[in-house]
Amino acid sequence: MALLQLIARRLIQLAGVLLGISIVTFLLLHMAPGDPARLLAGDRASAETIAVIRSQYGLDLPLWRQFLTYLMNLFAGDIGQSLRFQRPVSQLIQQFMWPTLFLTVYVVCLAVPPTVALAIMSARKPGGTADQVIRLIGIAGLTIPVFWLGIMMSRLFGVSLGWFPVSGYGVGISEHLHHLFLPALSTAIWLVPVLTQSLRAALIEKTTADFVTAARAQGASEREIFWRTILPNAVLPTLNLLGVMVAFMIGGAIIVETIYAVPGLGTLMIGALLGRDYYVVQGLTLVFAMSTVLVTLAVDLLTAFIDPRVRL
Amino acid sequence: MSRTEDVTRPLLEVENLTVGLGEFDAVKAVSFHLQPGEILGIVGESGSGKSVTCRAAMGLLPGAARASGRVTLEGRDLLTLGEADWCAIRGRDIGMIFQNPASHLDPLRRIGKQIAAPMVRHLGIGRREGMRRAIQLLDDVGIREPEKRARSYPHEFSGGMKQRAMIAAAIGCGPKLLIADEPTTALDVTVQARILGLLKDLNRERGLAIILISHDLGVVADICSRVVVMRHGEVVEQGPIDDVINRPQHPYTRLLIDSQPSRKTYPGTKTEPEQAAPLLSVEKLSVSFPVRRDLIGGLASNGESFLALDGIDLQIAAGETVGIVGESGSGKSTLARAIIRQNRPSEGAIRLDGQDVHALGGDALTGFRRRVQMVFQNPYDSLNPRMTIAEAVAEPIWRHGLADRRTAQMQANELLEMVELPRALGDRMPRQLSGGQCQRVGLARALALKPQLLIADEITSALDVTTQAQILELLLRLQRERALTLLYISHDLSVVSGICQRVYVFKGGRIVENGSARQVLSAPQDPYTQELVRSLAQLGPVNPAPVFLPV
Amino acid sequence: MANASTLPEAAPPVRGMTLSMMVAMAILGGWLFLALTGPLIAPHEPDAIDIMNMLSPPSAEHWFGTDQVGRDIFSRVLFASRVDLFLCVIGVLPPLLIGTTIGLLSGYFGGVVDSLFMRVYDLTVAFPFFVLVLAIVGVLGPGLVNFIIALTLVGWVSYARLVRAEVLTIRESEYIQAAKCLGYPPVAILTRHVLPNAIGPIIAYAVSDAVLVMLAGASFGFLGMGAQPPLAEWGVMIADGQAFVQQAWWICLFPGLAAISLGLGFAFLGDGLGQMQRRQATA
Repeated sequence: MALLQLIARRLIQLAGVLLGISIVTFLLLHMAPGDPARLLAGDRASAETIAVIRSQYGLDLPLWRQFLTYLMNLFAGDIGQSLRFQRPVSQLIQQFMWPTLFLTVYVVCLAVPPTVALAIMSARKPGGTADQVIRLIGIAGLTIPVFWLGIMMSRLFGVSLGWFPVSGYGVGISEHLHHLFLPALSTAIWLVPVLTQSLRAALIEKTTADFVTAARAQGASEREIFWRTILPNAVLPTLNLLGVMVAFMIGGAIIVETIYAVPGLGTLMIGALLGRDYYVVQGLTLVFAMSTVLVTLAVDLLTAFIDPRVRL
Repeated sequence: MSRTEDVTRPLLEVENLTVGLGEFDAVKAVSFHLQPGEILGIVGESGSGKSVTCRAAMGLLPGAARASGRVTLEGRDLLTLGEADWCAIRGRDIGMIFQNPASHLDPLRRIGKQIAAPMVRHLGIGRREGMRRAIQLLDDVGIREPEKRARSYPHEFSGGMKQRAMIAAAIGCGPKLLIADEPTTALDVTVQARILGLLKDLNRERGLAIILISHDLGVVADICSRVVVMRHGEVVEQGPIDDVINRPQHPYTRLLIDSQPSRKTYPGTKTEPEQAAPLLSVEKLSVSFPVRRDLIGGLASNGESFLALDGIDLQIAAGETVGIVGESGSGKSTLARAIIRQNRPSEGAIRLDGQDVHALGGDALTGFRRRVQMVFQNPYDSLNPRMTIAEAVAEPIWRHGLADRRTAQMQANELLEMVELPRALGDRMPRQLSGGQCQRVGLARALALKPQLLIADEITSALDVTTQAQILELLLRLQRERALTLLYISHDLSVVSGICQRVYVFKGGRIVENGSARQVLSAPQDPYTQELVRSLAQLGPVNPAPVFLPV
Repeated sequence: MANASTLPEAAPPVRGMTLSMMVAMAILGGWLFLALTGPLIAPHEPDAIDIMNMLSPPSAEHWFGTDQVGRDIFSRVLFASRVDLFLCVIGVLPPLLIGTTIGLLSGYFGGVVDSLFMRVYDLTVAFPFFVLVLAIVGVLGPGLVNFIIALTLVGWVSYARLVRAEVLTIRESEYIQAAKCLGYPPVAILTRHVLPNAIGPIIAYAVSDAVLVMLAGASFGFLGMGAQPPLAEWGVMIADGQAFVQQAWWICLFPGLAAISLGLGFAFLGDGLGQMQRRQATA
């Protein structure tokens, strides 16, 4: 019951954020220097073409009318037409989204087990040798440019050793797994340190928590205390961070996909940016924002499910 | 001690226990013993080593600590036990409860499960049976609707209920000994009295031996038969409670007893107030806070609000010392904050010499700031951690243009001297001082503007009892010397009635009783005040009944 | 714990440098030195094309080898350090200043400003950071200046949020109540009492943000949305070398290592600052 209330409340909150997102993406197109009609028509277009485009896209109307039109179109599921592909942006996104989704899930699966293992090893003896080494590796991992790591790994494992393909997506799950291994790994290498640091800090904090002392005073063994008391309490902050990071990764996919030529949303975005295909940029930004909001919502609900205090 | 006890083997014996934490010994050669079914008090101020001693007896010392000596439970040496043996004893033979029940319960697990866990662990019973017994235990410790409450989470419990739940979890396996480490310190006085009553009942009905650790001699005297007094990691005195309290041998014990607010008399405050127009008058004051809805931020405030103060009427005459007593949430601090204009009244007015305080502006407001000042509760939090204390005391002087910055600095040094702080401390940061020293700085800062009315909000509640006595003496000396009007706010009726002429008793945002301090303490009218007076854990009258006196 | 009746000894100074701090100083100092003296040290002109020495591996003449048009990688890495170091500073400072100011006001005064800010915050975090910056740069047009503009537009929000959270706690502390009660003007309370106590975590965050900014800058250079060729910038150099990575790994390797080492400098600085703050808190 309380959970339902929370969902309802979050959905109302969501409506505001979604409206804001639509305003930002709408304004994005209008931030471009110069005449939007000229940009849409391309550099070599004649004055007549521009005029046609202007009335066709409603660019001669006042801004708020244009926004209303945009909003109506959004509700109808129409997020514009790609100038380059001459297809609706929504179709393009449907076509390109699967590799990106697959990659994101893949990264999370690759990143979570080592995170938990490393954090536990680290937190077992804070300041010990294992902890120091893990901390140093973590600091280093954070500073490696993902695109550089991607290039270097594709050269080593792909070209020199020939273990993995260095581009494309393949057909079927096993080929996906094989093709996307290097892209997923290079992202995970960056993600693991961030999550490990958070989980380690939370574990250490909870280890000294009063309720752990109390559990010990009631005769619980160290093993039981760790699994039943410390870990559940420590997972919460990391779960939130994971949510933020997944959102971050959907964006970060742009770089990895470019390097490994994965036909995903990132590749689509870069192509659109370089080709000045603004409606695709706008549509993708909208979709990225929506998925971030959804991920955050999912994490919030999961947190509320674990932590009774959130359900107020 | 020299008294010959009955010859039964002691339940717990501590011999020459020394606990080292790093370089320094937190506990030095401590010895005491506990008979079955006895309640033993260990009393001492912060840093006396009383908690460390008991944690050593539970094997709960931090990893870096070294313990030597002997601790035996029914003849079995505890200090040499391995971890597995410890796990079999903790929660089974010895139970423990803690100072802050809120932080000692796992926030993610239901109360019933947490109470059942030790029984499932130690007694080999099933989960269902464990839950059944947990509900019974909740009933035993006086929690209403135990079946429903067993399904609650800790955050749904009040402070007193959490401590009852902790007790239920600790006694579930029928231990022989319960160690209670400051079990009532975080609770309101009336709740404290009920929890102490529960402990007494458990002792009587189940023959449970209890070690009660407390900083409060009054609490210990209330329920213990013997007491151990500790200071700086050493036992300074131990013996039957009446002997120790009535014939203390050690000077420190004597100081401790003399510092008890109920024993202490403060000179020169009981003069009758002049019959004049009140300096400060509070008229039908109500303060309400909107109940925060995180929904659409502050946009949709749907009129729901919490009434922290509800129609308060109160007068303070010049030169008077007025006390306000109340438990947490009674609105006493809200009143203080309303007087210094940090809470806006929703109704009513506060007048200083007839002028509405909340209508002031410009120079009149500056004038008001100079006339009314306040000292705060938390010694460390009330001083900016990034300023030396001399800077902190000098700042009001130069900001109000009473002197240039250099002269202000000199005046600050004089103020520090006035509150009996050595001049050399002026360059220290607050965290380099003790709590009592910080409160002195707070007092000096408040007096820098030479105010007429001083508000003291729980200024000693974070301090040890001997420090409290010193601060109160200082406060009253300054009041005499500077002809201050004093509004003293505290949860502790005995302190308030000890230093104030008139007392207002607050409950739930209303005044339930007011009158002269003596009258409120000796003949309380309102049922709540009566309960408050009953709850006072006191050492008893200064001259005990002759029965206890040896001839 | 010192007991109440004796004066604590003069507290030990908490200034002692941690190992992380010293490593950070060495790395950052080294890069600053190289960036300042780059033109004097560099053995070659960074943009000098040498068709005779295309894609030549590291040697005594070209320490880090040459790229596809024969430019000396070592010299280009040196010159690029000026761009990337500059990026770190200029990419962090405007969001830091704007964010701190807004966070202070929003947290201390609350009210409409605060509600408004929180809505902006909710909205901004709804976008993946990288996507929003990329979209803004894409629309404004690729280039370093537009990158900094986009970074500031998006980045100030995190600083403001962090400062606001600090201020919300500090605002409730008794020394702020005391300052109000003593009638200090709001500006004095903000600058002398609130800001000095709020700034620690912000500085630590800014340092770790510098790593992110540097990586983002290099990434944008790599994607062709940041620094534009032929300007020597580590990301741009890596992008240049990507096509030749099979024959000439050194074109990509060295700029990447340079970026990592600069990043390590900032990361260790952040680590050291964090350690010192923790030490101060427990001292």
